[in-house]
Amino acid sequence: MITSPMNITILIARKEIKVAMREKLVVVLGCIILLLLGVALYAGYLAYQQQQTIITQIQAEKRQEWLKQGDKHPHIAAHYGTFVFKPKTMLSLFDFGLDAYTGTSKYLEAHHPHEFMFRPAQDHSSMIRFGELSAALVLRILVPLLIIFLAFAAFTRERESGPLKLLVAQGVSFATLTWGKILAYVTLLVTMLLPFLLGIVMLSLVNTHQDTIPDVVTRATLLAFVYGVYLFLFIAFSVWVSLRSSTGRNALLILLSGWIFLGVLMSKTVANLSENFYALPSMREFKAAIEQDKVSGLDGKTPRSVRMATLEKEYLEKYEVDSVQQLPFNFEGVSMQAGEEYGNAIYDYHQEKLRGIFHQQNRLGSLVSLLNPIIAVQHLSLALSGTDMHTFIHFEEQAEDYRRELVRKMNADMAENSQYGEFYGYKAGGDLWQQMEDFSYQTPTALQLLQYYRLEVVSLLLWTVLALVLIHYTHRKAKPLHA
Amino acid sequence: MPSPSQILIYYEWKMLIRNRFQLLMLAVTFLFGLYAIYYGQSEINAQRQTIQAVQNLEQEEFSSYQASFTEEMETLEQEQTHDIASRPAYAWYRHGYHAILPPHDYAALAIGQRDLFRYYYRLTGMSLHYQLFENELANPVNLMVGNFDLSFVLVYLFPLLIIAFCYGLFSSEKENGTLPLLMMQPVSLRRIILVRFLFYFGLITGLALLLSLIGLITSGNPLKAENLIPALAWLLGVLVYCAFWFGLLFLIISFCQSSALNAITAVGCWLLLLIVIPAVLNVIVTVKYPLSSATLAGLTRRTGLENEDDEEESREVIQEFLTHKPELAGSDSLMKNNLLPKAYAAFTSLKDINSQQQVDQYNAQVAQRNAWTSRFHWLSPAVNMQEVLAHIAETDVSTFLRFQAALASFHGEITDFYFTRLFWDKLILQEDYASLPVFEMPKSDDRWNMVWLGLGKIFLAAGGAFTFGFINMKGGARQ
Repeated sequence: MITSPMNITILIARKEIKVAMREKLVVVLGCIILLLLGVALYAGYLAYQQQQTIITQIQAEKRQEWLKQGDKHPHIAAHYGTFVFKPKTMLSLFDFGLDAYTGTSKYLEAHHPHEFMFRPAQDHSSMIRFGELSAALVLRILVPLLIIFLAFAAFTRERESGPLKLLVAQGVSFATLTWGKILAYVTLLVTMLLPFLLGIVMLSLVNTHQDTIPDVVTRATLLAFVYGVYLFLFIAFSVWVSLRSSTGRNALLILLSGWIFLGVLMSKTVANLSENFYALPSMREFKAAIEQDKVSGLDGKTPRSVRMATLEKEYLEKYEVDSVQQLPFNFEGVSMQAGEEYGNAIYDYHQEKLRGIFHQQNRLGSLVSLLNPIIAVQHLSLALSGTDMHTFIHFEEQAEDYRRELVRKMNADMAENSQYGEFYGYKAGGDLWQQMEDFSYQTPTALQLLQYYRLEVVSLLLWTVLALVLIHYTHRKAKPLHA
Repeated sequence: MPSPSQILIYYEWKMLIRNRFQLLMLAVTFLFGLYAIYYGQSEINAQRQTIQAVQNLEQEEFSSYQASFTEEMETLEQEQTHDIASRPAYAWYRHGYHAILPPHDYAALAIGQRDLFRYYYRLTGMSLHYQLFENELANPVNLMVGNFDLSFVLVYLFPLLIIAFCYGLFSSEKENGTLPLLMMQPVSLRRIILVRFLFYFGLITGLALLLSLIGLITSGNPLKAENLIPALAWLLGVLVYCAFWFGLLFLIISFCQSSALNAITAVGCWLLLLIVIPAVLNVIVTVKYPLSSATLAGLTRRTGLENEDDEEESREVIQEFLTHKPELAGSDSLMKNNLLPKAYAAFTSLKDINSQQQVDQYNAQVAQRNAWTSRFHWLSPAVNMQEVLAHIAETDVSTFLRFQAALASFHGEITDFYFTRLFWDKLILQEDYASLPVFEMPKSDDRWNMVWLGLGKIFLAAGGAFTFGFINMKGGARQ
C-alpha cells in the first residue's frame, strides 16, 4: 500500500495524540488549564458586569446631578462641573490589562484639568501585584507550559528509545515527522480551546449593542488569530528544540528556561529599565510647573495681568468702544474663556511632555518585543481588548475635550446673557444644562489602534517566518543517530 | 580520614566548578540581584528627592510668612503675604502642610506599594476629601508589570535557581547509571542525597544572604536601632524561604521519578505558588467584594455657597457647623467679622463631616478585602514571603491605610489651629508659628506580629515538606 506524505503526516499526528493522551500528567495539566480558563472567563465576565453596572449607575447619577442642579450662574455650574467614568470594555473580560492601574474617574471643572483618580489596584491588598487571573494570562503563560510538556520529548523520546531510526529507515522524511507532530499538538490545543473561543465570540455578539467597542467582532477575530499564531509558534519552537536536543532532559531545560525568561522576567526588566532611562516628574512638580506658567505665561514673561489687558484692548478696539461695559455682551464671559483657553494651552504643553515620557518608556517595550514574541502578543492582546495605554490616552483626550466643551458653553452663555459685574444677578437653568449632551465614549477601531503596534505585528511575522525557516532548514541537516 | 559527608561535599564542589552552565546561572542571578538593589535604591532616592523638594517648598512658604511679621511693608505683594500670614480668614485655606510618609531605609529592597500609593500630601484647612484622592503620576504599564527589586529576585528567582540545581539530584544518578554504584556504598542513599541537598542549600541560601547583606548595608546602616530588627527579620526570612523551597524540592525528589518529571513538577509548583494561586485569589476577591472607588468621586467636587452675597445663608451654614463644634461659638463678633470666610470654612467642614460615613464605608470594604485575602496567605508561602518583606520595609498596604487615617487626624489639627482663630476673630501671631501643627505617623502595634506569624507559616511549610519527603524517601530509596 502506497501512502502519500500527507497521509503519513496524519498517521503520525494520530499516533502522537494517542501517546499524549496516555500521559496522565498531560491530561491532568490540560484539565487544570481548562478549569482555570473557565474560572478566568467567568470571573472576568462577572467583574465586567459588576464594574459596568456600578459605572453606568454612577454616571447616570452624576448626569442627573448636572441636569437637576437648579438655577445658578453658568460659571458656578462650570466650577461644580461633573464627572466622567471610564467604562469597562466588553473584551476586558478576556484581558484586564491596565484597567487596575489607570484611573477610573475624572472630575471635570473649569480652570483645572484634573488627572484621573482612583486606581482600582488601590482597593486591593498587596497581592494584586502578583497579577489577576485572566483568560489572556492563561493563554499566554499557562498554555505554553502545557505545550512544553507535550512537545519536549517529541523527538527525544523516539531518539532515546529507538523508533526514530526505524521510521527514518522506512523513508519517512523529517519534514513529515515534524509536521505530523506539530499537527498533533495543534489539533489537541484547538479541541481543548475551541469551546472557549466560541464562548467568547457568542458573548461578544450578544453584548455588542451597548458596548464601548465599535468593532467587537473584528477584535475578537484578531485576538483569536494573534493567540493562534502565538501558540503555533510555541509548538513549532518546542518541537524544533526537541528535534535538536540529544536528550529529553536537555530539551526540557532549554524550553523551561526560555519560557520563564521570556514570559516572566523580561517584561519586568524592560519596564524597570525604562523607568531608569526616562524619569517621570512628581505630581507636585507637574502641577507647580503648570501653575508657574499660568502666573508668568508660557514664554515666562507675559503675566496674567498683561494678557488680560491685551485682550481688553483688543476687544475695545474691535468694537470701537471706550469701556468693557459698553460691549454688547458680558466681557467677563469672554475673558473667562480666554483665560480658560490659555490654561488649556499650558496644560496641553505639559501633558504632551508627560505623555512623551510615557511613550518613550513604553517604546522600549515595543522594541524589545522584536526579540520576544510573548511581549508582542501581550501588547497586541491589551490593544485588542481595549485595555492598553493608547485606548486610555484616547479616552483621556475625549474626556478633556468634553470638559472644554462644557466650560466653553457655560462661558458663552455667561457672555451672552449676563451683565458685567453682576455675578449673582444672572442664573441659568435646566435648558442650558440640557444643551450639554451626556458624555459617551467609543474606543478607536482595532485598525486605528494597531497603527501604534506596528513593531509588535512585525515581530510576530518575523518569528513565524523564523520558525518555518528553522524547521525547514533543520530537516535537511538533522541526523537521527547519535553522532 | 575525612568523613563520607566531607568527601561528598568535596566532590559536589568539584562537580559544581566544572559545570559552566550552573556557574553562569549563579553569576546571572547575582547580577540580577545587584541590579535589583540598584533599581530599588534609585526609585526610593527619587522619592526622597521629591520629599526634599516638597519640604523645601513648604519651608519657603512658611518662612515668607514669618518674615512678613518683621519686614517693613513696602510693596503690595508684601502686604498680601502678611495678610495671608496673619489673618486666619486667608490663612486657613492657603497654608499648606505636607504630611509625608518617609521611606524606611529598607523600602529600596521591597518597594511594595510605594509606587502605587501617594507618600506625600499637601493639606490645607479645606475639605480633606478634595485633597485626598489625587494620584501620583505613574506609567500604568510599569505599575502593572511591577518592580524589579530585591524582594522580587528573592521571591521569584531564587526558587527557580533552587529548582535548577536540585531537580536531578537523585534522578540523574539513575539516568547516568551511577545509582548502583552509590547503592553499594556503606552510606545510605538518603544520607547522600541529604548531604548534597545541604551543600546546595548552603550555596544558594548563602548567595541569597550575601545579596541581602549587600542590599541591607548599602540601603541603610543595619546597626541603627530602627534598622536592626528589620535587617535580622529580613535575613531570617530569606533563610526560611529558601528552606521552604529546598524542602519542597526534597519532597518532589523523594518520589524518585525521572528528571523530566521532577523538573516539570517543580516548575508547576513554582507556577502554582507564584502565579496561579495569587491570580485566582485576586480575581475571586474582586468578584466576591465588588467595590469601586469611583463611587467616592463625588466627594472631590469643589462646591460653594449658593450665593455669596446672601448673609443669611452664610449664618445658617455657620450655625449648622457650630452644632458639631460648639467650642468655636461664643465670640461676640462671631456673625459680624469675616462672615464669608467663616461660612466657607464651615461649609467645607460640614461637607467632610457629611461624607465621612461614605469614606469610612469604603475603607471598611477595602479592609474586608484585605482580611479575606490574608486568610489565604498560607496557601502560598511565596505570597506570604512577599507580604513579610513588604511589612519589614513598611511598604505594605496597611502602612498606607494607616497613613491615610493619620492624614485625617492631622487635617483635624490643622483646621482646629485655624478655626479657633478664625471663629474667635483672633489674628495669627508670630509666636503662633512656634506651635504649628506637625504631622506624626503613628506607630503600628501589630506589624511585627504579622512578620513573625508569616515567617512561622513559611517555616511550618518548609518543615512539613521536608519531613514528608524524609519519610517518603525511605520507601523510594529501597528500589
